Amino acid sequence: MLKNFGWKTIKKYKLEIAMLTPLVLYIIGLTFVPIFNTILMSFQDPLTKEFGTLDNYKYIFGRPEFKDAFKNTLLITAIGLTLEMTFGLIIALMLMKKFRGRGLFRAVLLVPLGVPTLVSAVMLTYVFNTNGYLNELLYRLNLIQVPIDWAGGGMKTILMIVVADMWKVTPMIVLLLLAGLESISDDVYEASAIDGASTWQTFWNVTLPLLKPSITIALILRAIDAFRIFELPMVLAGRSTPVLSTYAYQEYNSYNNPYTSAAGSTILLVLILIFILGYLFIVEREKGVK
Amino acid sequence: MKKKWYAKLVVGLLSATLLLAGCGTEATEPTTEGDNQSQEPTTLRISMGLGESEWQVMKEKVFPQFEQEHNVKIEAVQIEAADLPKKLESMDAAGKMELDLFTQDNMALAPLVEKGLVEDLSGYRDMIPDEILPSLTSVGEFDDKLYFLPYRPNVEITYYNETKFNEAGLTPPTNWDELLNVAKTFKEKEGIGRVAIKGTLDGNTTVHLYDFIRSAGGDPMVLNDEGSVKAYTFLQELYPYLSPDTKKADWNTMNQYLANESVYLGQNWPFGVNVIVKDGGKEEIKAYHGWEGPVKESHVLGGEVIGIPKGSPNADLAMEFAAYLMSKEVQEIFVSELGWPASRSDAYGTVADWQKPYFEAVDQALATAEARPNVTYWADVEKATNDAFREIVMEGKPVKPTLDKYHDVLEVAKNK
Amino acid sequence: MVKGQENDRLAKIIRILFWPTVIMVLFFLLVPVYIMVKVSLSAPEDILTQHPPFLIHNFTWDHWIKVFESGNLWEPFKKSFTVATTTTILAIMIAAPASYVISRMPKKVKYITILTLFLTRMFPEVGIALPISVKFLELGLLDTNLGLVLAHLAKELPFIAWILVGTFETIPRELEQAAMVDGASRLTALTKVVFPISLSGIAVAAMFVWLDSWNEFTYALYLTLSDRTLPLQTYYYIMRGDWFQSAAYATILTIPVVIVTFFLQRYLKSGYLSGAIKG
Repeated sequence: MLKNFGWKTIKKYKLEIAMLTPLVLYIIGLTFVPIFNTILMSFQDPLTKEFGTLDNYKYIFGRPEFKDAFKNTLLITAIGLTLEMTFGLIIALMLMKKFRGRGLFRAVLLVPLGVPTLVSAVMLTYVFNTNGYLNELLYRLNLIQVPIDWAGGGMKTILMIVVADMWKVTPMIVLLLLAGLESISDDVYEASAIDGASTWQTFWNVTLPLLKPSITIALILRAIDAFRIFELPMVLAGRSTPVLSTYAYQEYNSYNNPYTSAAGSTILLVLILIFILGYLFIVEREKGVK
Repeated sequence: MKKKWYAKLVVGLLSATLLLAGCGTEATEPTTEGDNQSQEPTTLRISMGLGESEWQVMKEKVFPQFEQEHNVKIEAVQIEAADLPKKLESMDAAGKMELDLFTQDNMALAPLVEKGLVEDLSGYRDMIPDEILPSLTSVGEFDDKLYFLPYRPNVEITYYNETKFNEAGLTPPTNWDELLNVAKTFKEKEGIGRVAIKGTLDGNTTVHLYDFIRSAGGDPMVLNDEGSVKAYTFLQELYPYLSPDTKKADWNTMNQYLANESVYLGQNWPFGVNVIVKDGGKEEIKAYHGWEGPVKESHVLGGEVIGIPKGSPNADLAMEFAAYLMSKEVQEIFVSELGWPASRSDAYGTVADWQKPYFEAVDQALATAEARPNVTYWADVEKATNDAFREIVMEGKPVKPTLDKYHDVLEVAKNK
Repeated sequence: MVKGQENDRLAKIIRILFWPTVIMVLFFLLVPVYIMVKVSLSAPEDILTQHPPFLIHNFTWDHWIKVFESGNLWEPFKKSFTVATTTTILAIMIAAPASYVISRMPKKVKYITILTLFLTRMFPEVGIALPISVKFLELGLLDTNLGLVLAHLAKELPFIAWILVGTFETIPRELEQAAMVDGASRLTALTKVVFPISLSGIAVAAMFVWLDSWNEFTYALYLTLSDRTLPLQTYYYIMRGDWFQSAAYATILTIPVVIVTFFLQRYLKSGYLSGAIKG
């Protein structure tokens, strides 16, 4: 029976298979295989090239830079996601209204998407440098006398990176949320208007629940990229505020150790997986309850 | 209607692409040398890491003579010191070495040797002219084998903002006490540090640490001897008065900090003179050879060397080019056109007037320059030295015990 | 929208804050671009100082003149443009049919497929750039446009596939089934009925890919030796500390972006992305 199933199915779906194959081959060959190789490498001993060693991981966990990187990555992702989602939602809601200049607003909104992250990072150093525009603004407003060291580490650096990231990323979130918002039919809003609901009530009880799938997707998409953040911390904060990606890069580049770098990358992968699976699990549970 | 507009756009883009793709393969490229169009000349592919004005000098004054004499077309590519190991590694792993010769910063040589990416040039030792300063040759040696040929020496000079120094009534420091004083004075006066060292905890920091340790009579490969302890203790004392830019200052950003007056005193390589003074127009930024420590003055001997990558397609021709680069004529061009100190004792050139004071600073600094030891486990050395810096100077841990710890790390690395 | 109630405080707050927010957001979005343009057009005194002015005090065309005269502009520009456009076209050609198939799969399989597509994005680029580049070099793809296109495709395909799956989901199966009932073959139903409707969604996906490829940097660094792309060229100037020329290059890099986004922003209305959400 299985034999029949196999051949017949292939025949029936040959068009589909033909259409699907290039994509699948490409992705497997050029993404899965290298990722798999790198993960394998993280378990290799650098000198003897044997497998099955956890030395690379032990080494990384002992490095203070790694612990910093881990903490920073979590902080940046958490704060960044919250702010980006909030602002993204607000802007998306605003774009639902028809107002003069909406087209212009939308066009400007897309510009950050097209600027290479490296370039935006460098431009933002002009803002956040010791002699930068932000300090200059604060100085002229008489709020500070001595320039603030934004890249000095600690919360201000994290916030700096978050703001820089938001510049590039909020437009994307707006687009995703906008798509979700527009798919909510007007009938729903009319019904709530008839019921005499206030704006807040409508938002909280009607819009938000219907928007949940959009928010989920946007959140997952952003989380994946937020955990992997690279150019911005590299340029804006340097080595004083490492994140997991820049740490993996340093291990590879400056310390010439691709094995520990691979371990770092793998840890990042695991972190992202945990986050996503955890999030999906919570969402599914809520759905189940309802 | 939308669809039609759409289709037109797609067709338009397609034809534009095809047109450009077609043009790309036919047109001669004005910027890159050598298009393999002519049959006879061999193409020599070399890589260097240079600024734009430096490339101009190379292409106009240095390459043509060699090209004519040897019927060669030199195709030159720009590769930064940090990117070269990766590039060579990927080409080597693919079995397709596309480079015949490269020049590389002598601080980034260990990975090339460690990964077996360069040819052993020990057999060509006699090719090195006698007039070449011997310290430069030792820079290219690893484990008694010669892997790189000397090319040009380089040393960091100390830049300072003359205007700001005059305003504060200070003169550029000549020893550690004065250095501490300058840092303190600026910090008190302006509320923020204005003296910076390169504290990025990578190769840049190591250079500065070597200077400090050696000028206190210490041996950085031992790390916990008396000189090292003195150096780290001093740095620990100095650190609170340093500029916050210290954390991000590397060979590139240091120029920016000096130019936009965020830092008034900082050390960097001489190419900064072009960037800050010539391009940036900041003539008040001057330079001198630096300060001495309790025992002596010491600066890390930097510079570039010539290397032949493993599997180089035109190795013999590349060696002739290397000889050419080491010749008296070319070295003199380097001096007069680029302001580079010569690697031969018999090469003289006249430097442009505005460049003279900076050139002098370089020459003086070179007099006390010492090369770093060439070991293949350099990555571990760098890490240990920098980690010690982080723990002691940045985090304030006790000097001797921490240095002892890293001394042990170095011993382990040595014996691996 | 909602009929106002007397106690609808939120509505009042929104009314007051609406325009200020629009302006603030516009400001925030435009600041880096403004800086780029400003730096490229300012004389050094304006930038190399402890207290930089906000507006352009000392205007100069010098930097732009240098950029055009250096002859280093046209080649990278051409290369980036060619690679971006080719990548976009190929990406659509490969991903669209595959996405169609995925969109018609049973729900569970679809979910898993999409999640797997995402797996590929979860790894830091740093970790796989080198092995991929080595493979490409072995195939002799150094310095070629083809090599870059292939590398970019690897990065973009999962993302496009995801967007297009959503697009195709909004097209009800009944449409193609109706066409087949009318006697069309499977293939004809697809090309004559489904794909035309999905064109707008494809446009959106194409736009994203083009922009992403135009800006791509990491693979360009590994896969080129002498033929740089525009982002690489900008990187070179940034690395060498040439503040002004790098700002000019950055501006040049951004101009096509502005043009492309301006054109295609009207297509960013509903439907194209909403389908992806419902999945």
